[in-house]
Amino acid sequence: MQPLLTLLQINDSMFPIGSFTHSYGLESYVSKGIVKDTPSARVYANNMLRHSIYYNDAAFLQKAWALLEAKKSVREFQKLDEMITALKAPAEIRDASKKLAIRFLKLTQALHPVKRCSNYLAKIQEGQLHGHYAVAFAMYAHASGITLKDALLAFYYNSLNGIVTNCAKLVPIGQGDAQKILFDLQATIKELVDEQENMEEEMVGLCCIGQEIRCMQHEKQYSRLYIS
Amino acid sequence: MLSTIKINAEREGALTLLKESCHNAPYKVIHYGSRHLHEHLELIMMSSSPGIMDGDEIDIEVNVHEHAQLKLFTQSFSKLHPMETGALQRTNVQVKKGGIYKFIPHPITPFANSIFRTVNEIHLDENANLIWGDIIASGRVHSGESFQFTRLHSITKVYRGKKLVLFDNQLLEPGRQPFDSILFYERYTHQATLIYVSPYAAELKTELDEILTSQYDEFSFGFTQCGPNAIMIRAMGDEGVMLYDWLSAMGQLCWEFTVHKQEEEQAELETEQAAEPKAEKAEPAAKKQTKRTKKEVTAKGRAKKAKAIPEAAAEIELEEVLAEAVIEK
Repeated sequence: MQPLLTLLQINDSMFPIGSFTHSYGLESYVSKGIVKDTPSARVYANNMLRHSIYYNDAAFLQKAWALLEAKKSVREFQKLDEMITALKAPAEIRDASKKLAIRFLKLTQALHPVKRCSNYLAKIQEGQLHGHYAVAFAMYAHASGITLKDALLAFYYNSLNGIVTNCAKLVPIGQGDAQKILFDLQATIKELVDEQENMEEEMVGLCCIGQEIRCMQHEKQYSRLYIS
Repeated sequence: MLSTIKINAEREGALTLLKESCHNAPYKVIHYGSRHLHEHLELIMMSSSPGIMDGDEIDIEVNVHEHAQLKLFTQSFSKLHPMETGALQRTNVQVKKGGIYKFIPHPITPFANSIFRTVNEIHLDENANLIWGDIIASGRVHSGESFQFTRLHSITKVYRGKKLVLFDNQLLEPGRQPFDSILFYERYTHQATLIYVSPYAAELKTELDEILTSQYDEFSFGFTQCGPNAIMIRAMGDEGVMLYDWLSAMGQLCWEFTVHKQEEEQAELETEQAAEPKAEKAEPAAKKQTKRTKKEVTAKGRAKKAKAIPEAAAEIELEEVLAEAVIEK
C-alpha cells in the first residue's frame, strides 16, 4: 500500500462517500445573502478553517489519532465518539458526520480491510456508537502509514475544497476565484496543522454560535440543494 | 470571595418543598412570591452585590429529587465587572427520576476587561426533565461597550445516566474571534440558548415544527433535535430583555408540556391499575375512552415511524446512487 496514493484517493473530493451533498450551513448563508460574492466567500472560508474546523473536526481527527498512537482501549474511542455526538448539536451536522463515516468505512473496507475500522463500522451499525467521519478517517489513514501532519493537511485541504466548490455552485463565484481562495489559504492550513497538537483540552469543540443557528435554520429552508 | 448556594427540592404529596438549602453573602435564595400559590416550587436567587467581581468564586448546587418540580429564577442581569484575574462559577445539578428543573437566568453582561468562566455539570436520571437557558450579551451595548471584555468561557455538560448527551462549549474571546463576522454574531449583540432534555423532547419537537414556522424581525433563531431526547433552540438578537422574555416563554412551554405529559401518563397508569381488579364491572366510560385514544395515538405514531424508516432508507440509497454516478464519470 502506498501511503501518499492512498491519502490522495481517500481524500479526493470525488471519493464517493457523499461529501458533496453537504454544505454545512453554507446554503443558509447564501440564501440569506450573507455569503454573496467572492470577498464574503473568502471570509466564510477563512472563518470556517480557523474557527470551526480547527476546533472541531480537525481536533477530533487529532484526538482519535492520539488514541490510536497510544493504543487506547475501545472504551476511550467510545468516549470520544460520545463527546463528538454531544458537541454536534444541529441534527443535520450530526447526521452528516455519521453518514460520511459509514460510507467511508464501507468503501475503505472493500479496498483494504482494517480491523479497527471494521469494528467501528460494526458498532455504528449495531447502534452502540454514533459514528463520526473525522474518527473513521483518522483510523484508516493511521493504518495506511500516513503521518498525522499529512492526514491533517489533506483533511483541511479537502474541507476547504468542499467549501470553495460549494461557493462556486451556490453563490455563485467564478471557478478561478474559488481556486484562488483554495490556493491563498495554504498558509492558514499549514499554520493550523502546526498548532493542532498543542490545543488545550477545553478548546476542543468550541461552538460558532452563528454557524450553529444557520445550520439549524437549514432544516426549515424552503428549497434546498444540499442535505445540510 | 467564595460564595455557596445549595438548594434541595423534594416532593411531598402533591407539593414540592424546599429542604436543606443554604446560601451565604452576597447571595440569598427565597421563595418567589407566595409559596402557597402553586404545587411546584418557585425560588429566586438574589444578590446584594452589584455583580460578579474579580476573584469571585461561586458554587451552586441544585438537587431536584424524585418527582420534584423546581423553577429557579434570577433577580437581574448578571453583571461581570472589570477584572484582572477573573471570576469562576461552578454549577452542579442533579435531577432525579421524574423531576423537572427549569432555570433560565437573566442575560450575562460582561463589562470591559471582565474575565469569567462558568462550568455547568448537569446529571439527569433516565426520566428526568431539564429546561436550561443562557443568554450572553456582548457588553453594555447602549454605553458603546460591545465585545470589550477579555474572555468569557461557558461550558455546559449534560449527562443522562453516565452518558454525556449534550456538550456546549462557548468561548468568547474578542482577541481570538471576529465577532461581527460570518459564523459569529454577524450584526447582532446577544446570543441565547435553550436546552430541553426530557423523555418528551422528541414529541415537543414535532409540535415546535408547527409552531415556530416563521422568523421574527427582531432576532434570528434556529432549533433542532440535538439528541434522542433533547431539543436545542439558539437565537441571536439585539435586545437582552426581548431574548429573555422569549426564552422564558419557550421554557414555560417546555414546562407545561412536561407537566401535561406526566399527568397524562399518571392518569393512564391509574386507569390501568383500576382496570386490573376484574371485579370492577362498571369502569367509567370516560376512562375507557382515554385508553382507546391512547392506543390510537400510539398506533398512529407507529404508522408514522414505519413510514419514516423506508423514506430514510430511500434517501441513503439515493445518495449511494448519486455517489456511484460520480464514480462512473
